[in-house]
Amino acid sequence: MIAYIALAMVILLRPDPAPGLLRSKADARQIDCTAISEAAGSQQYPGRIKPEPPRGDFIDKRAVICRERLMRAGLRDTRDEAVLSTLRTQTAELAAAAVAQRPDLGARSWLVEAYYPSVQVSGKIRFSTADALVSQGVPVSDRTPVLAAGDIDVITRMAPQQAYPAACARYAATGSLGEDDVLLAVMVRDPRETILHAGLCEGGRWSWLR
Amino acid sequence: MYQPLSGLHDPIVVDIQQPNFTDVRLTIRCERGDLLSAQEASVLCDRLDALFTNQGAQVTTLSASSLALPGDDFGAQQAQAVDAPAPTDLTITITSREVGTSDNPFLWTASAATFTLVPAVTETTFAQDVTVRDDSGFLLARDSLQGRIIRRFGAGVWATNAVMNRLFREDDEDITEEAIKAELSADMYQQLSQIVFNAKMRWVVLQDASPTAPGAAW
Repeated sequence: MIAYIALAMVILLRPDPAPGLLRSKADARQIDCTAISEAAGSQQYPGRIKPEPPRGDFIDKRAVICRERLMRAGLRDTRDEAVLSTLRTQTAELAAAAVAQRPDLGARSWLVEAYYPSVQVSGKIRFSTADALVSQGVPVSDRTPVLAAGDIDVITRMAPQQAYPAACARYAATGSLGEDDVLLAVMVRDPRETILHAGLCEGGRWSWLR
Repeated sequence: MYQPLSGLHDPIVVDIQQPNFTDVRLTIRCERGDLLSAQEASVLCDRLDALFTNQGAQVTTLSASSLALPGDDFGAQQAQAVDAPAPTDLTITITSREVGTSDNPFLWTASAATFTLVPAVTETTFAQDVTVRDDSGFLLARDSLQGRIIRRFGAGVWATNAVMNRLFREDDEDITEEAIKAELSADMYQQLSQIVFNAKMRWVVLQDASPTAPGAAW
């Protein structure tokens, strides 16, 4: 009887990322996991996950690989968290799309600007995008184009589809963005979205990338 | 027990009670797969119809119809019920598949031999693959929502869980069959709303980027 109870406790108390006796639902939602086969697990984590026996196994086993999230839920604004958790992937895609769509601009000096409500997150988006552009092999400047207060006052009252082309034209007209410069602008267009969009400004002409 | 693995518990900004898709024409295709029969796919589509209609979208659903198999009466009936494709802005395709299962026959034997004092355990890892395309077929968004369902069977497990639910766990931490269904549904509907909203915004930007858009530079 004791042996049976011991076996039951071993099964119930075994380390498992799922909610149960040892882990609450809230804790289980703090980790991102991937379920992979035993063979794939032993290749990725040799020594920690035993390989399947050469003659196969009578029991179907799967490995669950988990990674704890960097920040606890609720510490950051939800949209900031959503954007920052995929920032590297998103900015890499935007930079690749920009360089692929305009290979003729490869020799120009690329500037990056991010339009995001939070200044701190905006800085991270700008840095990550510049880093992704450098990885694409284009020259990147850390200069930021500026607009006069009057321009900003007018532009911020326009709809996004007019505001960004108008800002681009003003950058060129005021000389803030030179003939040898290209601006890659990264932004969110709606407070409900968790993806970034991007557009290119060169020679006073604006074009949306994605 | 239900554990969201990836995608199902990502941060959500969109509020599914708000009109997020006003004047957007959505077509939802629920395809049968490892985990969904034709009838279940149809039920899923009905629920997604309600989800997006409540958010202001004009929804058309295609479920079993798109994949009716020979001899499948339900799918054939559904196929006949569908008219010519309605004009649409975004097409959402949802496929369910089983990523893997884990089962231990020794535990089932031990469980039976001990009158279920020793629990038997089965695990299923599933994925809901979602793609969103515009009317030209351009891919706007793609995601895979993965989760895991663990079933522990036995009198010992049932008793321990009942005691934990009653004495130690907060109400929202209770582990019950109903709670698992509610959590999985809530996660899936919220994530789907966010994915489709993001796709809608990408679609809007691509429309601005088209050569015919006002102020387009190329």
